[in-house]
Amino acid sequence: MIKKKLNRRSFLAFSAGAIAGGSIPTTAVAKQITDLLNPSSPIMLPANFSPSLWFTMESNGRTKIHIFKSEIGQHVGTALSQIVAEQLCLDWSHVSIDYPEMDHSTFATYGGQLTGGSYSVHEMYGKLSKQAAFARQLLIEAGADLMGSEFEDCIAERGYVKDTLYETEISYSEILSETVLEYTITEADLSDTKEIQRTDFKIIGRPIKALDIPEKVNGAARFGIDAYLPNMVYAKLVLPPTRFGSTIAAIDQDKAMTMPGFMAAVPMSFPTEAKSQGFITDVVAVLADSFPNAMRAAKAVNVTWETDPDFRVSTNDLFQNAEAQIAHEDGKDFFITGAFGDVDTGVELESSYKTSFIAHSPMEPASALSHFTDGRLHIYAGCQGGSLLPFIISQFTGLTPDKVLFYPHLIGGGFGKRFAVEPIVISALLSMNVQNPVKIIFTREDEFLLSHPRSLSVQKLSAKSNAAGELVGLKHEISCGWISFDDFGLVNPVQNGSPRTDLPDIQLFSATGSDNWYDIPNKHVKMHRNKMIEAVTGNGAVRSVANNYTIFALESFIDELAALKNIDPVDLRLSLLKGKDLNSGKNASSLFQKGLTPYFNVSKDAYESSVDGGRRLANVLRTATGLANYGGLLADGVAQGVAIAGAEERTNPSFSACVADVEVNVAAKFFEVKKLTIAIDLGLIVNPDGALAQIEGSVLWGLSNGLYEELTYNEGKVEQTNFDTYKWQTITGIPEINIKLLENSNYPSGAGEPATSIIAPAICNAIYAASRVRLRELPVSRERFAAAIDQMIPKDG
Amino acid sequence: MAKLSVNGRAYFVDEEADTPLLWVLREALQLTGTKFGCGGGHCGCCTVHINGEAMRSCRVRLGDVEGAVITTIEGLSPTSDHPVQIAWIEHQVPQCGYCHSGQIMQAAAFLHENTKPSDDEIDIAMRGNLCRCMTYTRVRKAVKLAAELQSGKKI
Repeated sequence: MIKKKLNRRSFLAFSAGAIAGGSIPTTAVAKQITDLLNPSSPIMLPANFSPSLWFTMESNGRTKIHIFKSEIGQHVGTALSQIVAEQLCLDWSHVSIDYPEMDHSTFATYGGQLTGGSYSVHEMYGKLSKQAAFARQLLIEAGADLMGSEFEDCIAERGYVKDTLYETEISYSEILSETVLEYTITEADLSDTKEIQRTDFKIIGRPIKALDIPEKVNGAARFGIDAYLPNMVYAKLVLPPTRFGSTIAAIDQDKAMTMPGFMAAVPMSFPTEAKSQGFITDVVAVLADSFPNAMRAAKAVNVTWETDPDFRVSTNDLFQNAEAQIAHEDGKDFFITGAFGDVDTGVELESSYKTSFIAHSPMEPASALSHFTDGRLHIYAGCQGGSLLPFIISQFTGLTPDKVLFYPHLIGGGFGKRFAVEPIVISALLSMNVQNPVKIIFTREDEFLLSHPRSLSVQKLSAKSNAAGELVGLKHEISCGWISFDDFGLVNPVQNGSPRTDLPDIQLFSATGSDNWYDIPNKHVKMHRNKMIEAVTGNGAVRSVANNYTIFALESFIDELAALKNIDPVDLRLSLLKGKDLNSGKNASSLFQKGLTPYFNVSKDAYESSVDGGRRLANVLRTATGLANYGGLLADGVAQGVAIAGAEERTNPSFSACVADVEVNVAAKFFEVKKLTIAIDLGLIVNPDGALAQIEGSVLWGLSNGLYEELTYNEGKVEQTNFDTYKWQTITGIPEINIKLLENSNYPSGAGEPATSIIAPAICNAIYAASRVRLRELPVSRERFAAAIDQMIPKDG
Repeated sequence: MAKLSVNGRAYFVDEEADTPLLWVLREALQLTGTKFGCGGGHCGCCTVHINGEAMRSCRVRLGDVEGAVITTIEGLSPTSDHPVQIAWIEHQVPQCGYCHSGQIMQAAAFLHENTKPSDDEIDIAMRGNLCRCMTYTRVRKAVKLAAELQSGKKI
C-alpha cells in the first residue's frame, strides 16, 4: 500500500505487555495500570494520539478536530472535519470540533489562520488531507500489529482496522487503549502519503449536517457578545463628531456621577500612527455595573471635542477627489501583460464607473470582554484574525505578546468586520486600568458610526482594437482607499511573530478582479491609492472585497464593447476565454505569493486551483446561459444580462457566471429583477450543502449591494446609524434563484464570497439589453435608474 | 423589585422600570439566547413571546411586562424539538446563527396563528427579521416545513 515501510518501533512507544513492574511510566498503557475494582489502583487515562497539529484521537474512539479558523457562519469546522474524517476513515458520529485558545505562538505554529478571503478550505485542504492520510497508515500499522496481521492485508474503515484476509477487525478505540502511539508527522512523511481518491470518498462530497447548527436553534450558542465573567463591568462608548480627526478636549461627568451604577468616564486617546492608518479613533469609554446603566450614563457624559476641519469631509468630496486622481495622476502598475500606451491604435471606447461605500453590518454588534489578571490579559471575543491579536494588543498595551491569550467565540456574522479590533483594544486597556474584567458592547449606532466600509471607487476603462476589430488593449484605472489589511493597522507589521519589512507596493486585496482572465494582449491595470478616503473612513475588507467594484466596472465595460462592436455579449466573452498564456492558470504560484503567504499559509498544491482558469470561466458561462435559456423567448419587457468572475484572487479563483433576467418598463421608470441563474466551479466540493448555502448568501449579498446599499458621510460622519436608514435586502422581493454547482477534481477554491461580485453587473447589463439605459453607478436604486432615464441620450439612435 | 415569569419560572429582578426587557433577559437572567441587534425594533434579533405574541424585547420595558408570560428561545421547547427548530435543522437554515433565535421565535408565533401559510404570507410575517448572512430562501422553506410538521407530517 505504501512504498516506504514504516518503522513501527519508531512510534509504538509501548504496546501491550511492555510494562513489567517497577515505577509507572507516565505514558504507560492505562488499561494495564488501572484496576477499577481496587481502590488503591492509580487511575490513568489512556494517552491521546496526536500525530498532527490539527486533530487528536482519544482512546474512547472520539476524534477532536482543532479549528483555528473562526466560525462566522460558514460551518468551517464541519468542512475541515470532513477532510480529516475522510482520510482517517472515521465514523462521522465520533467526530467533534473545538476552537482552541490562541496565544503568541499560534501564528508561528499554525500559520496565520486568518478567516477571510474565502480561504479556509482552500488553504487547509491539502494539509489536512495528507496529514490525516498518514495518520491512518499509522493506525493500520498499529492495528495490524495488535491483531498479528500483515500490514498489507489491512485496511481502515469507519473507525476500524480490518484484516481483509482473515476477516478480523480492531477498532481505533481498542488500538488506542492497548497501545500508546507517539508520533509526530513530519513534512518528509507527507511526500509518500497515499490519500484516498475522490472516487472512493465517503464523507467528502456529502451534504453532512453542520456541527454548529444544533446549538444555534435553541439559544445555547455562545457568541462573543455572550461572554461572561464574574464581577465584569460594562463599557459604552461616547463617540466623536467625526469618524476620524477629533480629539478629546474636556469631559464633564458631573451629571453621570448621580446616575445608578456609573463608575467612570475614561478618555481613550491613541497614537497618531494608529489613527492615521484608519485603525482606531479617540473615544470616551463610560464604565458602569450593567450595560443599561452604561448606556444611560453615556448619555449624561458631556464630552467636548476638537476636530481637525480637514476631516469634515463628505461623500461627494471623496468622489471628486477620486475622479481627480484618475484624471491627473499616473497611478501604480498593478497588473500588466503589455503597456496599453504602446498599442499603436486609437482608443475605441472609454467609460467611467462609480461604486458606493458599503458597511459590513453583521447582525452581532461588535463586543469584547478582556480580563487582566496576574500579569496576563485574557480576551474573550470573536475575531477573524485571532493569531495576530497578541502582537496587535502588545503594541497598544505595552504587554509582551506572550502575556496575551485569546479565547475565540462564535461570530455573529463577519464579512470582514471582525478584522477590526477596536473593541478588543479598548476593553484590554480598560481592564488593565480598572483591574476588573471589562466587557464593551457597541450599540448598532456605534457599529455604523465606527464603520470600516468597503471603499467607494471611481474606475475608468479604456479599450483599443486592431484593424480586424479584435481587442488588443484594455486599460483599467482604479481609485479607492486601500484596505489596511497588509499591516492590519499595526504600527509594526508582523510576520511569523517578527516585524515585517516587505509590504507589497500594491494592496492586492484592493485591486483584485481587475487582473482578469480575458485573452487580451495588452492588459494594463493602474491603481491609485486614495489616502484621503483611507484617512477619513478607515475602510476595510467587505465580502468579495475589491471584486465587487472591479468586476462591476470590467463586466459592464465588456458589455459596452460588445454593444459597440455589435456582437452578442456572451459570444464576445467566449471568444476571449480560450485560456491563453497567463490565462492557462498554470503560473499562479509566481504571481502573488509575496502578498499572500504571510497570512494565508496555502500549501503548494493549492495553486492547482487556478489551472485552466480561462476555459473554466468559459465553461461556467456556457452552463449558466444554457440553464437560463439565454437567447430564448422571454416575457415582454424582460431581457437578460451576463457577468463572470474568477474571484477571490487569481490564486484562489472560483469561476462563476450569472445570467440576470430583468423586467424593465422605461415609461414607468421601473425595473424588477425576476431571476438570477448562477453557475459556479469551485473545484472539489467538500460539503455541497454548505457550499450552496454560502453561494445563496453571496448571491443575495450581490443583489443587496447592487440595488440598495450605500453608506454616506456628511462632514466626516457616517450618516446612516441603524437599519431604518441603511437599507439592504430583506426576505421580500427576492427573485427566483437557480444555482448550479459544478463539481470536478480540481483543487478546492473558496465558496463564501465569489458570487457576490457578478450579480450587479449582470443586472445592469440586462437593464441595458432591455432598455439601452447604461447604468455606471452602484447601487442601482430606483431613483438612480429614473434619473438615468431622464438624462438618457440614446447611444444607438 | 419586579416579578417576571420567564420560561415557566418566576424571577425577581432589581432593575429600573425603564430597562429594556432584552437586557434584563441577557444580563440579569443570563438568558443570552435572545440577541441584541439594533435596539430600535428594526431587525428582530431580540424577538421573544409575550403572552404568546412575538415582540421585540429591545422595545419592551421591564415595567410593562410584570405579570406577563414570557418565553425566550431557551424556553421554546425543553428538548429543542419544536417543529420550527426541527425544520430549521432539516433545512440547515442558520449560517452565523445570530438572528435565528429571533427568526425562530417569530416563525413559531406566526405558525400558531396561521397553520398553512403561503409564500407571501411567510414573507409578510418574517420581513421584519433581518438576516445578514441572507438565509432568507431557507427561512421560507423551513417555515413551510414547520407548518407541515405541526400538522402531523413526519420526516
